[in-house]
Amino acid sequence: MAAMIDNGLLVQMLIGALLGVSVYLPLAAGQLSLASPAFYAVGGTLAALLSTSWPVLGAGADGTFPLASFLLELLLGGLLAGALALLVGRLVLRLQGIYLAIATIALVEIVRVAILNLPFTGGAIGIFGIPQPFPTAAGYLLPALALLALAGWVCQRLEGMPLGRAMAAIRNDELAARCMGIDTTGVKLTAFVLSAVLAGSTGALAAHFLNTWNARQGSFDTSVTMLAFVILGGSRSWLGPVVGGLLLTALPELLRPVGDARLVLFGLVILLGPVLFPKGLITPSLLERLGAPLRPASWRRRGGVAP
Amino acid sequence: MSPPAARGDRSGSSAVNAPLLEVRELTCRFGGLVALNRVSFAVEPGEIFGLIGPNGAGKTTLFNLISGLTPPTSGAVIWRGTPITTLPPFRRNRLGLARTFQNLRLFEGLTVHDNLLAALRRQPGESLLGGLRASASHRRAERQRLQRASALLEELGLEALAERAAGTLSYGDRRRLEIARALATQPSLLLLDEPAAGMNPAEKDTLCELIAQLRGRHGLTVMVIEHHVPLLMRLCDRLAVLDFGERIALGSPEQVRHDPRVIEAYLGGAPP
Amino acid sequence: MIETLLQTLLNGAASGGVYALVALGYTLVFSVLGVINFALGALFSLGGYLTYLLMGGRISANGALPGWGLPLELPFPLALLLAAALTGLASLVVEKLAFVPLRRRNAEPLLYLITSLGAGLVVVNLLQMLMGAEGYAFPASALAGLPAAVVVAGARIRSVQVLLLAVCAAAVLALTLWLERSRGGRALRAVAEDATTARLLGINSDAMLRLAFLLSGALAGLGGGLIGVSISLPGPYVGIGYGLKGLAVLVLGGLGSVPGAIAGGLLLGLAEAMVPSGASGWRDALAFAILFAVLLVRPSGLLGRRLVEKV
Repeated sequence: MAAMIDNGLLVQMLIGALLGVSVYLPLAAGQLSLASPAFYAVGGTLAALLSTSWPVLGAGADGTFPLASFLLELLLGGLLAGALALLVGRLVLRLQGIYLAIATIALVEIVRVAILNLPFTGGAIGIFGIPQPFPTAAGYLLPALALLALAGWVCQRLEGMPLGRAMAAIRNDELAARCMGIDTTGVKLTAFVLSAVLAGSTGALAAHFLNTWNARQGSFDTSVTMLAFVILGGSRSWLGPVVGGLLLTALPELLRPVGDARLVLFGLVILLGPVLFPKGLITPSLLERLGAPLRPASWRRRGGVAP
Repeated sequence: MSPPAARGDRSGSSAVNAPLLEVRELTCRFGGLVALNRVSFAVEPGEIFGLIGPNGAGKTTLFNLISGLTPPTSGAVIWRGTPITTLPPFRRNRLGLARTFQNLRLFEGLTVHDNLLAALRRQPGESLLGGLRASASHRRAERQRLQRASALLEELGLEALAERAAGTLSYGDRRRLEIARALATQPSLLLLDEPAAGMNPAEKDTLCELIAQLRGRHGLTVMVIEHHVPLLMRLCDRLAVLDFGERIALGSPEQVRHDPRVIEAYLGGAPP
Repeated sequence: MIETLLQTLLNGAASGGVYALVALGYTLVFSVLGVINFALGALFSLGGYLTYLLMGGRISANGALPGWGLPLELPFPLALLLAAALTGLASLVVEKLAFVPLRRRNAEPLLYLITSLGAGLVVVNLLQMLMGAEGYAFPASALAGLPAAVVVAGARIRSVQVLLLAVCAAAVLALTLWLERSRGGRALRAVAEDATTARLLGINSDAMLRLAFLLSGALAGLGGGLIGVSISLPGPYVGIGYGLKGLAVLVLGGLGSVPGAIAGGLLLGLAEAMVPSGASGWRDALAFAILFAVLLVRPSGLLGRRLVEKV
């Protein structure tokens, strides 16, 4: 089994984990947003376009690409996605519950069709021959891990910060949170934008890794799978979607020997998962047993006295 | 039934003498139903002001209007002389207005401690980036928050329950937690919506004392909605009585007790 | 010109009818259970393929059993109805596997989203395994006996579009009448209104829920068969697209509103038909752009009830 997990699959698993965290952030503030694939697509499209059409970034004739330009694209992909999220977020986040979820599904579809039809984004075929900053798949492991570590660090820090607590409060009771002085619109928007930035950077990384990019990269299917990462992995901590993303991305590949039935099995996992693991795999009690470092900072210190 | 003598000539004057909160001709209509009809009164700083009336009289609706959860059909809510009728709830809280809820709205999934911390907001000097990199100002603010939370837990007798999930607490403890959480937002005016509901007489007495103590210790003004009228008679400096959305009485407990309209509004005509 | 306008309107109404069918499918389950059955799109595909097979269609070279077909060759109307019924039964299986286990433990609504999506994935991929991934055109015998086109008020309309419109209208009418007039329909509406009271009145709300799933699957299956015969089945994922658009219509019309689903479906079909052919690639985004715009102005849809939170 281990031999089947090559570097390429590892990178894909890390991308899955990153997308999982991206869906987790709005959910941690009580918002079921399925918009991340749209931002993923935006970031990926930007990277694909810039690297293939901007010679100043230094794409070589042999298909190589300077590391610095790659990192710049990660940043730009995140920023563009964040800007889009800022634009749309204030409007979309006024919606509640299932309406929000459906509005974000609508956003994903709009972005997908736009990328499919805009003259400069490659149409149905997409953009080919995206240059590589690394000679092998293994090269992408480090940037992917670094991005995941950054995302995890932000999530972990949030728990000990007013912003993170505000998100948890909103998740529990938004109305009460408002009455306790929390600017719920601002907090939800921040979570939404952070989620978009992460998805956008991930998209930029994925575009280079996959070498080609098209409108199918960010679609409703992706929404479904990402949501499954969070629900099956556990939605109470950022570790849940990481585990969910890693496992569920590996699963269809690991099932390849089974042939065509693998997607059926994948569907079965998603069908049965919530029944067998209603709180996901990374449950709060599991977190407790794993040890103190993973608990929110406030738990450890009360009244300023160290444990 | 005459309103307190000096109310009329305080509107718009300097903050020093202005009532803390004033509601002026507040009307709230839901479709065809008139929940509140031109209700007016003022709450003076430092007093404990009671709001009583039969079921459906519009008391909670009034709280919702004051705290900003429901917009009035007409009328104004005035805070220290400035209208706040269009301010959203979170801004009103930042001005110093906090509340509890009739049906309890705790952050059920969070611990008691975290419920308080959530209400202890970001300080003006703190930024998102500062928090992420644990800057000195963030750490200082955190220490202050933790101290305040600790103090409130102690004051409200909740220390032993600090790490319990709010949803697992007994009813009385949940009520106290809600008060503690509201206090965490450092209010000048605390709105308590039926804080004694479901309590036995001994608990009600303790609550009464607690509210009086909190008023003194925190320099609070308190508005209380209660069904249990004797409690309010003991506790409050002044009372307003609502019936069918209208204010039918306003004054000291003694005055209100003997008001014929009040006697009539309550079942059986017996004095409250 | 009047003819092209009429053509456009009728085509739009025909596809709008199909959207309405899907939206009604969602509405039935939503009004009783309060959750969205995300497997409906997959059932749409299933209905299409079942209709094909029941008409004697053969599995293509890419499928699991190339050249295989049912030992049946039913005329289209019969195949369509039977396929719809079978899809209704499949819907019951989905209910049993994806919804019942969660209801037993009072799960939160989000989990139903996942399990029904999982069920949909299973169905679509089973179809893919069996039938292969490429397109299927219905046997020519499907519409034997019908002229290729009819002329209505001077405009040439493909008769299959008229058929589509007629069948959708009939289905919608039948459903609405059943809901209004029959005992079963009224019982269903009672459960949708207030399950507890309905139960106290002796209505078996579990049975009503299953009925809702049955009808909902049948409607989706009907839509799939209709699209199969009028256009073709481009692949097992065809239903996903209709499922998403049906979702848009559901929300546009107001969650849980039957007239809203019908009106919304028609409106969407007409709006899409109005998109000039030069921009046809954008047609798919229209549903979602409209939905987006409507939700921003009226967060509970055009005819939906505003959810007021009790404080």
